[in-house]
Amino acid sequence: MSFGSFIRRLLGTIPLILGISVVLFSIIHLAPGSPLDFYADNPNVTREALEQMRVAFGLDKPVPEQYVRWLWAFLNGNWGISFRTGQPVLEVILERLPATLILSGSAFLLSLAIAIPIGVLAATRRYSKLDTFFTFVSFSGISIPVFWVGLMAQLVFAIWLGWLPAGGFQTVGNGSFMDVLTHMVMPVCILSFATIAGWSRYVRASLIDVIGQDYIRTARAKGQTPRKVIWRHAVRNALLPIVTVVALDIVQIVSGAVITETIFSWPGIGRLFVESMDGRDYPVLMGLMMISSFTMVAANFAADMLYAVIDPRVRLA
Amino acid sequence: MLRDRTLLLRRQFLQGIGAAAFAAGFIGPQAVFAQAIGKRGGTLTIAVPYEVDTLNTFSTGFLADIQSVVVEGLIAPDEDAKYFPVLATEVPTVENGGVKLSADGKRMDITFKLRPNVTWSDGAPFTSEDVKFTWMALKDPKFIAESKEGVTEIDAIETPDPLTAVIRFNTVTPIWPSGFFSRGILPKHALEGKDLNTDGYNTKPLGTGPFVITEFKRGQYVVADRNPRYWRKDKDGTQLPYLDRMVFNLVPDASAMVTRIRAGEILLAYNIPYGQAQALSSSMEIIKNPILSWQRLDFNFKGPAAFRDLKVRQAFAHAINKDAIAKALSGFPFVVNSPVSKQFDYHDPNVRTYAFDPAKAKALLDEAGYVVGSDGVRAKGADKMAYRITVQAGNSADETAQQVVMANLKAVGIALSPDNKTGVAFREARYKGLYDLLYSRWITSADPQYSKFYGTEGSNNGTGFSSPKLDALLDTAEHTIDRAKLKEIFKEIQAFLADEVVTIPTTSNVSLIAKSAKLKNFVPNPTNRTIFNNTAAWYLEG
Repeated sequence: MSFGSFIRRLLGTIPLILGISVVLFSIIHLAPGSPLDFYADNPNVTREALEQMRVAFGLDKPVPEQYVRWLWAFLNGNWGISFRTGQPVLEVILERLPATLILSGSAFLLSLAIAIPIGVLAATRRYSKLDTFFTFVSFSGISIPVFWVGLMAQLVFAIWLGWLPAGGFQTVGNGSFMDVLTHMVMPVCILSFATIAGWSRYVRASLIDVIGQDYIRTARAKGQTPRKVIWRHAVRNALLPIVTVVALDIVQIVSGAVITETIFSWPGIGRLFVESMDGRDYPVLMGLMMISSFTMVAANFAADMLYAVIDPRVRLA
Repeated sequence: MLRDRTLLLRRQFLQGIGAAAFAAGFIGPQAVFAQAIGKRGGTLTIAVPYEVDTLNTFSTGFLADIQSVVVEGLIAPDEDAKYFPVLATEVPTVENGGVKLSADGKRMDITFKLRPNVTWSDGAPFTSEDVKFTWMALKDPKFIAESKEGVTEIDAIETPDPLTAVIRFNTVTPIWPSGFFSRGILPKHALEGKDLNTDGYNTKPLGTGPFVITEFKRGQYVVADRNPRYWRKDKDGTQLPYLDRMVFNLVPDASAMVTRIRAGEILLAYNIPYGQAQALSSSMEIIKNPILSWQRLDFNFKGPAAFRDLKVRQAFAHAINKDAIAKALSGFPFVVNSPVSKQFDYHDPNVRTYAFDPAKAKALLDEAGYVVGSDGVRAKGADKMAYRITVQAGNSADETAQQVVMANLKAVGIALSPDNKTGVAFREARYKGLYDLLYSRWITSADPQYSKFYGTEGSNNGTGFSSPKLDALLDTAEHTIDRAKLKEIFKEIQAFLADEVVTIPTTSNVSLIAKSAKLKNFVPNPTNRTIFNNTAAWYLEG
């Protein structure tokens, strides 16, 4: 891969992100309802007060003009002021981002660490009892709704056994590493469960595909140990498609897990998104979605680049 | 999840400023504080069923729950919805000279005597200048406040001395106590010249109340610690509040809230879903707090032509089984026939009722010319009785009631299909009349200004109903302070609403509170001034 093609691809993401921002902005503003409905619900808010708010929020301007104003401010680092809380948007998001990074990030790493070995074991012992067991568990993880697993875990570990807190990020006034860790156990495990289930299936399928290839037979014929054949030759090649799958899931680390965060009262981005959606808090919504889009584009870009690094046959035009 | 919180207005209602009303309704501070002597100490953990937006009592879109432990008004409503003095020494009335009508009867002055030796929690003295400042701050068009009503009805506030505030109204209105001065007073010394939309006050408000906000973690909790400078003492002279600390956990999800209560992490929670009360009753006391709210079926008068036919509306009223709705909601609500809540003295218990009578409903529909077709659905020519019925999606109580209403109407040959909407889309539908039939609830709390719901220009009138006769009645009611006269007018209003079947009120609503038996001196509050307006006397036992 040449440096030139790298730069070309990188520049290509700029119009992509701009395009995404236009689409997002339009969808948000075309959706029924407006931020003022939050207040319009209240008979005590006079029409004059509503009109004052409309002007203060800049909602009296045409949508394209609002977009240009928003984009210009955004590019200058001013993400706007939250309609609901009156705080700068970046501050609102940064307050919530750490909790989501910790939760989703840990779940991401845990999933990666568990899904790959499970997938490999299942593929190498195809149709064995172990494989059947993993298949059963994986399909359970994929099929059982996260909220149900979450509620059951709370029932057992928080209510019956009393080992873990039922929810929240920290004990009031504590917030030490161990304290947060205790609060993390359940949400991280539950969030990982579904991810592990999905990813391990990909790893298994991909590895089975690779094991059937001629070069694996060649490696075996050369007298390599089975372990070496699997880990050096098969797994490395089988992981190629996994990179794409995993890269697409990276965005969850910043976009948050709405359901898990809700069940466990976790103060993350997922819940912030729902709150902002309910209140049609346009500036916060745009900020959140721009971060997600940017991460998505970046992860895809990275996956493409990584692909070229891992597999010399892939050439970037 | 209760997404409807913004509906809970923050104004409390008033039983009137007429002589009779206050003679009967006035409760002095002695009565309110005549509660058990408690003991100091302890942390109360509370579940707040929504995500707090701002702690500024004037800009939050929710009820001022947490704000109420920090910010105090001059007067406040008690558990019987009667006003008692807080930062004022007495509630102004005509008798005590606090309320003075002008000679022409067109305007009035209200004089508040302020409590001496009250300080803000930072030590600065509380004076009449703060009262005036609050009004000025709210009046400023640049301040984006959730509620500014009542502010324009005031021409001036005079402060002859630090403990006297004279409020000069430019009109006569029976609802004056719900003005800003009962919602909270802002500290002039801390906020003068600041931008109230973005000031730090919104996360750490400064008040005169029993508690001080010491920590606000968004999405997690708000911690309120004892205000050591609080002005109130109990009968034994012990400095209030009793509690050391209140922790408000923000738990917008109902099932998460129930889990955390059952895990023992929460000692007080409110807005418990009806269906969850049973599960909690083994570990918590369940308190039914009757709120000023009712459920009803509304017609879109600008929609299907049939709805403009009185016989059709009467048929709807006879077809609906209100008892079944109440039962379906675990029996917590009771059946109502008037939108005027029972708590108000002008509620008319003898208003016309429409008994559950499917046969009569069928007969009325026949009379109106709607006959049953081959598919079992009635029609008059091409006008088929098939309508959409909208409720707030996700509101399980309303969705349950919707099922009952649909079954009831199907039985008389009217086909309803659900068209449920969430969040702002629902609100928009409700306000703009984007429905055929709407099943929903109003929570007034306010000194009910029913013109908002039924007046031609009413801001909440999405039904398109318009009657000059009703408009005139409502207008008279809203400018009358004579209690007896007001009752007469409200009798007429309720008769009109029932006779014309403008709306079909079905049941009341209660707010379920789950509280630990350890929490003492807790009193529910039916007004929108929330259960947190007398936290100073709460204490924990054991």
